Amino acid sequence: METLDLLMHGFATAATPVNLLWAFVGCMIGTAVGVLPGIGPAVAVAMLLPITVKVEATASMIFFAGIYYGAMYGGSTTAILLNTPGEAGSMVTAMEGNKMARNGRAGAALATAAIGSFVAGSIATVLVTFFAPLVARHAVRLGPPEYFMLMVLAFTTVSAVLGKSLLRGMVALLVGLALGLIGIDQITGQARYTAGMPELMDGIEVVLIAVGLFAVGEALYSVMYEGQTEETQNRLTSTHMTRQEWRRSWPAWLRATAIGFPFGTVPAGGSEIPTFLSYATEKKLSRNPQEFGTTGAIEGVAGPEAANNAAVTATLIPLLTLGIPTSNTTAILLGAFQNYGIQPGPQLFDSNAALVWALIASMYIGNVMLLILNLPLVGLWVKLLNIPKPYLYAGILVFSTLGVYGMRQSAFDLLLLYAIGLLGVLMRRFDFPAAPVVVGMILGPLAETQMRNAVAIGEGKWTIFLERPGSLGLIVVVLAVLLLPRLLRRRAARTAG
Amino acid sequence: MQTLLGAGLALLALLLAWGASAVSSEAGYGGVGPNFLPWLVSAALLVCALLCVLHALTGGLRDLQAGSGAERAHWQGFLWVSAALLLNALLITTLGFILSCALCFVLSVRGFKSAEGQLDLRLRAWVKDGLIGVAVAAPVFWMFTQLLAINLPGLTRTGWL
Repeated sequence: METLDLLMHGFATAATPVNLLWAFVGCMIGTAVGVLPGIGPAVAVAMLLPITVKVEATASMIFFAGIYYGAMYGGSTTAILLNTPGEAGSMVTAMEGNKMARNGRAGAALATAAIGSFVAGSIATVLVTFFAPLVARHAVRLGPPEYFMLMVLAFTTVSAVLGKSLLRGMVALLVGLALGLIGIDQITGQARYTAGMPELMDGIEVVLIAVGLFAVGEALYSVMYEGQTEETQNRLTSTHMTRQEWRRSWPAWLRATAIGFPFGTVPAGGSEIPTFLSYATEKKLSRNPQEFGTTGAIEGVAGPEAANNAAVTATLIPLLTLGIPTSNTTAILLGAFQNYGIQPGPQLFDSNAALVWALIASMYIGNVMLLILNLPLVGLWVKLLNIPKPYLYAGILVFSTLGVYGMRQSAFDLLLLYAIGLLGVLMRRFDFPAAPVVVGMILGPLAETQMRNAVAIGEGKWTIFLERPGSLGLIVVVLAVLLLPRLLRRRAARTAG
Repeated sequence: MQTLLGAGLALLALLLAWGASAVSSEAGYGGVGPNFLPWLVSAALLVCALLCVLHALTGGLRDLQAGSGAERAHWQGFLWVSAALLLNALLITTLGFILSCALCFVLSVRGFKSAEGQLDLRLRAWVKDGLIGVAVAAPVFWMFTQLLAINLPGLTRTGWL
């Protein structure tokens, strides 16, 4: 089989001592980032992006992927012990896992989260191995109109589905698009919105926006509003699961993988929906529904945590095969690829086969590493939580400086970073989602190029988008994403009233 | 406050439109020039901004989940951290990465301590945090400049001392 052959080559690359070391360090940093409140995987990857200047592409991709997965594992630890979900995906884990922890079953909750993540991650990796080349093969046939419509779909879903308000999601997306406009137009080479400042000619780095919104914004928000909040930590118990807990966990893991994976593959972004869906499923199917929300049900941790990991792994399919990021972290990863002059897309599997397969192989390795790092060592990770908050955030600010300054060696960027941090505080205070900003900024210029190429193909006629069945189909999907929830809500309101 | 936010957004939209008017409409044979998206974004943002104002005036933004934490901002802490970040931006090329970041570290620690109601301005605490800041920044500087050969400003032109 051709795929297996390529995968074996990938393993050969990924298993060299140097690459194994990068994977290991990535998993370590990722877990630490997941455990520490205040920074997520997107920011961690963004802060470390300067290494792309020096480190070879395959190694750094393996490193970043390790951080991405590691953060998912670490995130559940904080969610369960502190009831502070580091990112949206662990929100459900926090609900049920924290209840378990309060009833002295923290260990079992941590174990089912870690093993569930491993199971889901591994199955999802197998699926990525076989589906990604397939998608890439079909995606080669997509033309600019279809590509543009795919990106519009990504915009719609990321701004309409993720936040609670379509309006605020749209505003966030538009701000992102506006930020993406700054710099030289890719087709005509015209400068836009640079105000004559040479620093703005190359556009604003995505890293700057991500670090500004997520790390600096978070630090400023925390110092302004959360200084007084005291966190209580649940006691850690041994990470041992009883036979009954195993029996209750594994069907949940498998169901959740089946739920999570498809959500990761479509450009809908986010892991909230699959985790909530999985939680609802487990609650409905459970023989102990009275445990949910009271003493804590193990299925309620096992399912969502597995769904989260399956979805996260699956986001690599649209990233690698279409070049469409569906999460903040994949958006930054796309930026990392671009730093190497590599454009992820259907051709990636041909033009950079070695890199892609090494990356996929490293995911298998990383999953095993994370299981080993997390189950026995969870006590060690929890010690990280003893770092006092002032020092933690001060350290995060130093690393933010490194990430942003290291990219271009420009002090101007540091001022810009502060400004974006202020924007982040405002957005957080008024409940504007941050993900659409990043996705809009990174996909905006790409979408614009595709749109203009598409119209050029249509000789100036916009009907080109309606004439091709592929793009027409995507338009229908976009309209459905926008309108269906509204119609359903209205209908529900009418039947209720 | 929400109305103000909406108004700010509207202002931003107008600024964008003003910028868009400066972009040429040179379209080539495609029919869509580099000024198309700027106009589209400013128009859409203006519509959204007006909707935000409308919502703010009629019962506030919809489905709003208020930000977590305290009701009122702790401005003293904000000023410390702002000073940390801005001074870092201004001094990084003259002081070098390590000292500038150590200063940033010390000032942000002051900010967070003051937010916790434990602002410590004694010399001892400054020195201690300064040393921790150097201990955080120095290995990072060393790793990135030596192992990865990435340029970070040293204290002198030839590197760090």
